[in-house]
Amino acid sequence: MQTTRRQVLVAGSALAVAGGGPALAQGPVPAPQRGGTLTVQLTSEQRVLNPAIQASTGVYVMASKIVEPLVDLDAQGEPVGVLAERWDGSADGLTHTFHLRRGVNWHDGKPFVARDVQFSAMECWKKILNYGTTLYQFLEAVETPDEHTAVFRFSKPMPQGLLLRALPDLGHVIPAHVYAGTDIRTNPANTAPIGTGPFVFKQYERGQYLIAERNPNYWRGNGQPYLDRIVWRFISDRAAASAALESGQVQFSPYSGLALSDISRLSKDARYTVSTRGNEGNTAHTVMEMNLRRAELAKVEVRRALCHALDLGFFIENFLYGYAKLGTGPIPSSSAPFYVPRAAPYPFDRAKAERMLDDAGYKRPSRGAMRFAQPLKLLPAPWGEYTVNFATFIQQSLREIGVRVEIEARDAPGFLTGVYRDHNFDLTTGWHQYRNDPAVSTTVWFRTGSPVGAPWTNQYGYDNPAMDRAIDVAATELNAMKRKADYQEFVKLAVDDVPVHCAVEHAFISVYAKRLMGSHNTPRWSSSSWHDAWLAPA
Amino acid sequence: MSPAVRAFLRSPAGLLGVALMLLVLFAALSADWFFPRDPLSLAGRPLQWPGQNPRLLLGTDNLGRDIAGFICHGARVSLLIGLVATVVAVGLGTLIGAIAGFYGGWVDDALMRVTEAFQTVPNFILLLVLVAVFGSELEVITIAIGVVGWTAPCRLVRAEFMSLRTREYVLAARGLGVRDAGLIFREILPNALPPVIVYASVVMAVAILMESALAFLGLSDPNIASWGNMIGAGRSVLRTEWYVSAIPGVAILVTVLAFSLVGQGLNDALNPRLQAV
Amino acid sequence: MKRIGVLALRRLAQSVPVLLIILIGLFLLLQLAPGDTVDALLAQMGGGDAAVAAQLRRDYGLDVSVPVQLGRYLVRLLSFDLGMSAIYGKPVASVIFERLAVTALFMSCALAFAFSAGLVLGVLAARRVNGWPDTLISTLGLVFYAIPSFWLGLMLIVLFSVKLAWLPPGGFESIGEGLTGMAHVLDVAQHLVLPILSLSLIFLAIYLRLMRASMLEVMTLDFVRTARAKGLSEGHVLRRHVLRNALLPMVTFVGLQFSTMLGGSVVVESVFSLPGLGRLAFESVVQRDLNTLLGIVLVSAVLVIVVNFIVDLLYAKLDPRIVAR
Repeated sequence: MQTTRRQVLVAGSALAVAGGGPALAQGPVPAPQRGGTLTVQLTSEQRVLNPAIQASTGVYVMASKIVEPLVDLDAQGEPVGVLAERWDGSADGLTHTFHLRRGVNWHDGKPFVARDVQFSAMECWKKILNYGTTLYQFLEAVETPDEHTAVFRFSKPMPQGLLLRALPDLGHVIPAHVYAGTDIRTNPANTAPIGTGPFVFKQYERGQYLIAERNPNYWRGNGQPYLDRIVWRFISDRAAASAALESGQVQFSPYSGLALSDISRLSKDARYTVSTRGNEGNTAHTVMEMNLRRAELAKVEVRRALCHALDLGFFIENFLYGYAKLGTGPIPSSSAPFYVPRAAPYPFDRAKAERMLDDAGYKRPSRGAMRFAQPLKLLPAPWGEYTVNFATFIQQSLREIGVRVEIEARDAPGFLTGVYRDHNFDLTTGWHQYRNDPAVSTTVWFRTGSPVGAPWTNQYGYDNPAMDRAIDVAATELNAMKRKADYQEFVKLAVDDVPVHCAVEHAFISVYAKRLMGSHNTPRWSSSSWHDAWLAPA
Repeated sequence: MSPAVRAFLRSPAGLLGVALMLLVLFAALSADWFFPRDPLSLAGRPLQWPGQNPRLLLGTDNLGRDIAGFICHGARVSLLIGLVATVVAVGLGTLIGAIAGFYGGWVDDALMRVTEAFQTVPNFILLLVLVAVFGSELEVITIAIGVVGWTAPCRLVRAEFMSLRTREYVLAARGLGVRDAGLIFREILPNALPPVIVYASVVMAVAILMESALAFLGLSDPNIASWGNMIGAGRSVLRTEWYVSAIPGVAILVTVLAFSLVGQGLNDALNPRLQAV
Repeated sequence: MKRIGVLALRRLAQSVPVLLIILIGLFLLLQLAPGDTVDALLAQMGGGDAAVAAQLRRDYGLDVSVPVQLGRYLVRLLSFDLGMSAIYGKPVASVIFERLAVTALFMSCALAFAFSAGLVLGVLAARRVNGWPDTLISTLGLVFYAIPSFWLGLMLIVLFSVKLAWLPPGGFESIGEGLTGMAHVLDVAQHLVLPILSLSLIFLAIYLRLMRASMLEVMTLDFVRTARAKGLSEGHVLRRHVLRNALLPMVTFVGLQFSTMLGGSVVVESVFSLPGLGRLAFESVVQRDLNTLLGIVLVSAVLVIVVNFIVDLLYAKLDPRIVAR
């Protein structure tokens, strides 16, 4: 009846090992079978199904089966053409030409042409799409010399590698003939999408489910897609979600959608695969962010001391069931093109933390008393167990070194306004998602100049001109080797100044029935099109 | 008063209630003595079953907190919130009920419409709205629970005032030139209070239940050791470590039971008609 | 009967200002909340800059002054238009309507169970007053009253869903099995057993105590003694005279407690993932969906008023004195 810690840990580490190798490649691969309905559990729903105006895994997990990007990542994590067949770029990085796939039709029967790419890029990615507004800032025009060529012209150099790694997330193409001349934000196709993908939108009942059905005219042919239908069910209660999976009503729970205790329990159940494989492209850091506007936290020694006070090994083992590892900096170890191995920068050392605070001038007034006159106010990000439990763990840990923390729990909108608009916090937890290239998703956390109130930016008032310079240099560097080296400077500054402590690195966990085949075979599989996924008979 | 006290002491419900109340009170007062550590602090590995570790009598929850210590410190929180919320509810209700009952006429009409408005909106939904608007600090929650609970005491007081305001002694005082405030607070109120005081134990029980429900939904103050908080936290390990949710629930049950029993005992003592049956 | 109708209608008319107080009060209260619908939307969208936020505020009519917003809302209400739900992207009326059926079924089952079980137990206790059944039933009543409904729900899940696997742990029906007819009814019934138990136990305890007390009180009244003296059988006296009169406070209480019960459904529906009005209320507070929340408060206030109206009529029907008057 009761699970011991040890069993759980063993299961956790076994999983970490299994995650490295291609689990599905063992033994002969059976031939795919047509038919069947795949039911997917989602914890929350995004109420927009247009990935060209909203960049979020919560959108991709549904909409990317219906709407496709120009480029996706293959099993090795290399860019592979989807709606673009091939591409070439000019040496100066100012021009990128995409040769588009021919014979592709939209779900409404109209042909897919270069004008669709032009419209998506100029009207959606550049003007509306979050992250896109920064990335495509210097995109001047998309020219369409013929129906199957789109030429992207930039006013500042855009490294080809960066563009190609950004496109899987920030490069979904929507039909110009549906959107042009309308208000894009309120176009009904945002919740009833029309795309080129393997599945056709069927029905969306908010708060309940979304259904997409097989596209019989899908351009890949060869019997793909194999599934007849995909149903996404929104089940927010985690106990109910695991019950749905165990009763066979649901075959797949992506993005750590179950309670960690259930995940660890199901990992010992032979009917399910529990793995981080297929999510390498969506690594996240669970972070502690410190507001530099608070006098004590403005001192870098204090920030470092707080980091040393956290026994992250204990946290990972006991709170995260081993499904994570120590973070080493803002670029996660899963990012092969940019990661240079380094040690976790702030190992747990309570005595050292106390000493550092003493030296910084914050001695305890008396034995066992608290160091700061006012407690630190911690706003936990309400994104689920990781961020909320981490907040409690920070509170518990800092108390041991004489720093009192008061948690103020808020719902999502209260949290976002409190942190990003009003800066009314001292500490906060969060999830920093890394999307294949630091310039896509990560440097924005450290650079100055984000508008006040824009979520997921530099909200802690961190301002280091050397950092801004390092970020700008790397973002326009065309030589891949030099870019990688440039980013090590960025990592070093980020870790030394530590406005945000990238404490724990973890991939998202997928839990799925073993009969779901052809799955989790690319680094961002949950967000990909699932054209080759199929269900073995129950 | 003495026959009432004797009647109370004859009521087994009242006596059991007092005993349970003393137990809860003891847990609350001795919390610092037996569990000097912060109840929210990490006491050991999370999810140790009760009895598994002799140092941690009732085990640890999924955040590594000592459940026994949490329960004792939680008793303080529940009693404090219950008490203050009850004072707010009864105070507000008494004031409004007294004014409505004393003046009657359009004042009564207007105040009764407001009372009805509060009664018509489900209390708990109103509480959710208040917490969403004003935040979930301890003070806010306590006052909010009081604010949603004032209507029943208000109606009680109003009814008493309406029957008392025409009594001879009141009319006599009025004839002597006593002002309205004097009439309300010095002449009528002392006589209108006893039924409200009996009812206060019910208000207290409801207040404790409401706070725990709020904490269960994750909308209470997370910096305090609230029983509902732990039940909510234990929900994610319910299938395997159900004791995390079970133990604090028993604590709530005992506390609420104590107050309802005391209320029952008071009622028996002050309502001799039922006693006679 | 006509008299009763007039009486009830007058009470109904009294509830118009009450509704107005509720609406205006709530609307003003929510203006004080940190973050509005647009902040919630942006959170859902994963961000957006100040221009996006301003555009959205215009789209949702949040860029005008508070009195104007309130005025618009009240005017629209006159045409039974509760506005659009920003989060659900459709009219609030239809969002609420979809959830209403679940809550209506859930509430009426819970109410019926609490009422009938409370009645039976109350009568049993009163007939053997101070005997062992009375002691047992009264003690149970006290314990039931003290059990937090959400905790009871969780414990029932542990016992009946996790350990015994007899009943589903949550949801309203089995989705995707395409059940129809009797199979569907049974399926829903299975899903509702635990939620009904969790919600109704506390009310069962109240009705039980009330029924016992009012039975005891009525039995001492003169007309019962007269009936007994006339040599009528005990069962007859109980049914025709005692029960009918003892029911009166119970019926009143249904009206009084209905609002509390509706509030209790918030927690229970959340424990059992029931897609009802209570859970919608909780979700829209969390998502700061102002229109939906106002709509729910309005609808639940109307429900409470309607239930009380029905209770008035029932009361008049039951109470011989009112008819005689």
